[in-house]
Amino acid sequence: MASASRSPLPGFIARVFAWLPPAFFVWYLSAPVLLWPATLLVSLVSRMGFADLVGGTEQAGATLVFATALKPGGIMPQGGQITVDVNLLLYAFGLPLYAALVLAAREPGWPRRLIVGYAVLMPVVAWGALADFLKNVAITSGPMVASQTGFVAWQRELIAFAYQFGSLILPTVVPAVVWVLTHRRFLERLKTDTEKPGAS
Amino acid sequence: MLRFFITFVVLQGVFFGVELTPWAQEYFVEPWTRTLAAISSWLVAVVDPNVAAAGKVIRSNANGFAVSIEAGCNGVEATIVLIAAMCAFPADWRQKLVGLAFGVLAVQGLNIVRVISLFYLGQWDLQMFEWAHLYVWQALIMLDVLVVWLVWVRMLPAANRGGNRGGPSGGSAAPASA
Repeated sequence: MASASRSPLPGFIARVFAWLPPAFFVWYLSAPVLLWPATLLVSLVSRMGFADLVGGTEQAGATLVFATALKPGGIMPQGGQITVDVNLLLYAFGLPLYAALVLAAREPGWPRRLIVGYAVLMPVVAWGALADFLKNVAITSGPMVASQTGFVAWQRELIAFAYQFGSLILPTVVPAVVWVLTHRRFLERLKTDTEKPGAS
Repeated sequence: MLRFFITFVVLQGVFFGVELTPWAQEYFVEPWTRTLAAISSWLVAVVDPNVAAAGKVIRSNANGFAVSIEAGCNGVEATIVLIAAMCAFPADWRQKLVGLAFGVLAVQGLNIVRVISLFYLGQWDLQMFEWAHLYVWQALIMLDVLVVWLVWVRMLPAANRGGNRGGPSGGSAAPASA
């Protein structure tokens, strides 16, 4: 293994930690606006692919409310319809991480890189929210509701996988991958022993 | 770059798919999660004797507060990402094994810090616990994976890290991208 002396990595990591708190703060405060494109995506996909299940979607703060055509079973009064609330923040915490990484790298053109990451992460949030909704109605809501969805066994397995992948892997991995892909020159410099002053 | 990226995505999908199988859950994920709870409670017991672990649950005997280590909090997915990233990167198997040994240790070590910190944060303020649990620690663990991978790539011999073997650099004259 080669020497890691004079590494610019510690400085970069320190800057990431410095940027994370303000990034989380801004993210949390502006989430209702920041996550609107994800809501729009979910709405479009729901209308195209699950029109029989989803009557409409509405964003309330950072929560996405799915109005369904499904009837509650058991003790609920006749005529009621089920709504499902999904916390969008659960699938969007990669945004502040990505922003902190971009700002800590201090590369020229960082606003463009922020926009690229934001655009890539919106479908991730939409995936998580939609998979969360489908998991709710097809698996965790119980047989009386799940039976109305019409999903067969393999489709429920697919929904379970999509939910796990969309909650455990995508929100964490995609920001890191996008950052690596958009910072190749910065990574080149990290691999050498001298930190380029002009990068600051 | 493209080869690294595709290999990484494929490996990650395969590893994650295997992790979700009942066999892997029964013989690897569940035992590992119980071990993680036992290690965490053992470490906490050094300074706080009122802590006990039962299965994947860590409980305070002083106030009854308990945390259960569930999927996403056992560090398995973060480890999978690290393994996929190191396996996909062009390096010889010895370098990969050394990197994986230290890398997995670093990721799981921080994950133990996460579990213990959440255990005490929950006893102090449930709202802070939720925030740290659902958002902050998720980001920190992935940051840990990224940093471990960057350190490993940096410590590779120059032939691996700057060469033309398909690594993220894509050669020494890789253009800026955004």
